[in-house]
Amino acid sequence: MKSVLHMLVVLAAICGLSGFALSYLKMETAPRIEEQVLTYVQGPAILNVLTGIDNSPIAERRKFSVEGRSVTVFPGRKDGKLVSVAIEDSGKGFGGEVGVMVGFDVSRDTLTGIGITTMKETPGLGTRIADPGFTGQFIGKPTNEKLKSQGGSIDAVSGATISSTGAVTAVGRAAKSYAALKPEILKAWQ
Amino acid sequence: MQQLVREFTKGLWAELPPFRLVLGLCPTLAVTKTADNGLGMGLAVVFVLALSNVLISTVRHIIPKEVRIVCFIAISASLVVAVELLMQAYAYPLYQQLGIFVPLIVVNCVILGRAEAFAAKNGVLLSLADGLGMGLGFTMSLTFLGGLRELFGSGTLFGMPVMWEGFKPFTIMVEAPGAFICLGLILAGMNALGAWQARRKKQAVPAVSSGCACCGGCQSCEGRK
Repeated sequence: MKSVLHMLVVLAAICGLSGFALSYLKMETAPRIEEQVLTYVQGPAILNVLTGIDNSPIAERRKFSVEGRSVTVFPGRKDGKLVSVAIEDSGKGFGGEVGVMVGFDVSRDTLTGIGITTMKETPGLGTRIADPGFTGQFIGKPTNEKLKSQGGSIDAVSGATISSTGAVTAVGRAAKSYAALKPEILKAWQ
Repeated sequence: MQQLVREFTKGLWAELPPFRLVLGLCPTLAVTKTADNGLGMGLAVVFVLALSNVLISTVRHIIPKEVRIVCFIAISASLVVAVELLMQAYAYPLYQQLGIFVPLIVVNCVILGRAEAFAAKNGVLLSLADGLGMGLGFTMSLTFLGGLRELFGSGTLFGMPVMWEGFKPFTIMVEAPGAFICLGLILAGMNALGAWQARRKKQAVPAVSSGCACCGGCQSCEGRK
């Protein structure tokens, strides 16, 4: 009995201390990690989905709130006029959340393209949702586009239906934020 | 002092983790596409290994024998998460390159192997020396293997072109089979070198075995007798 108690106490103490140390470190590094992700992950993805713009979407980004959630919107301008915006959202994939940067054409309300930003999908299988063969299908499509199995026109990556669904869910969620925020977006950058 | 030096230097050649003990092969084979990646992975392992050795040898007397493995894993897992966070904050491109292999350092057998075989039985300073030595040996091996594969596979070293003009890279070297081929050749080369040195000194050729160091589970085996 005494040895069981001893084990419990030692293990609980080690795990508890580790937990505290890690949560402190996570808090300390969070702003820096956000900045790094902006430069190395979101930056290239934004430039990929917002084509033909001449401003810096990251520098002009702004936070809006939709249903209590904070959403960052990256504006794309051409000759000073707002032509497109990018919004990132995520959907549940096979190995965790799939982050997708979604570009919207402001005048036509269509997708200008999507880019996968973060994912933990199976290498060589689920990760193929980041290939142009999959992401390219979204260019010019309406914002509520779905997979073929859901009645839309997007071909899922074969063998990676769950990952593909995750990406489409993310697009749908970003589209919802976009629809809700459109009046505010137009006001903010007009 | 002499013992300290001995524990430090054994990881650099005599018990070189991937090539002598043949431990920690998963990251060794997977991330060594370039010398840069090998070096980055190696340094992450040095950090985790040195600190986990120090922490484990500090608390070795209060850990009950029955749950020691769980405690070791809890400590090394926390350190690995710390490395992951720090790498994301200060070396993001490297983090993107290494990807899943950073969190997988937790199950790198070098870490648990040294904890069980060394840190759980020795003092803090000796364990630190052992962790640093083993970690540096691991880093050197990974950098060397990565450099070799990068040199033949893409004709560059640390991203700088070094081969002559018109050099045609062997693409297989940066693919998975290249890792196995290189590892096999290096192991063979090291064994041949060892045998040649032994012959020159007129000693018996050492048997190709890493002996006790690669298991470290003596406690559990002895308990069974």
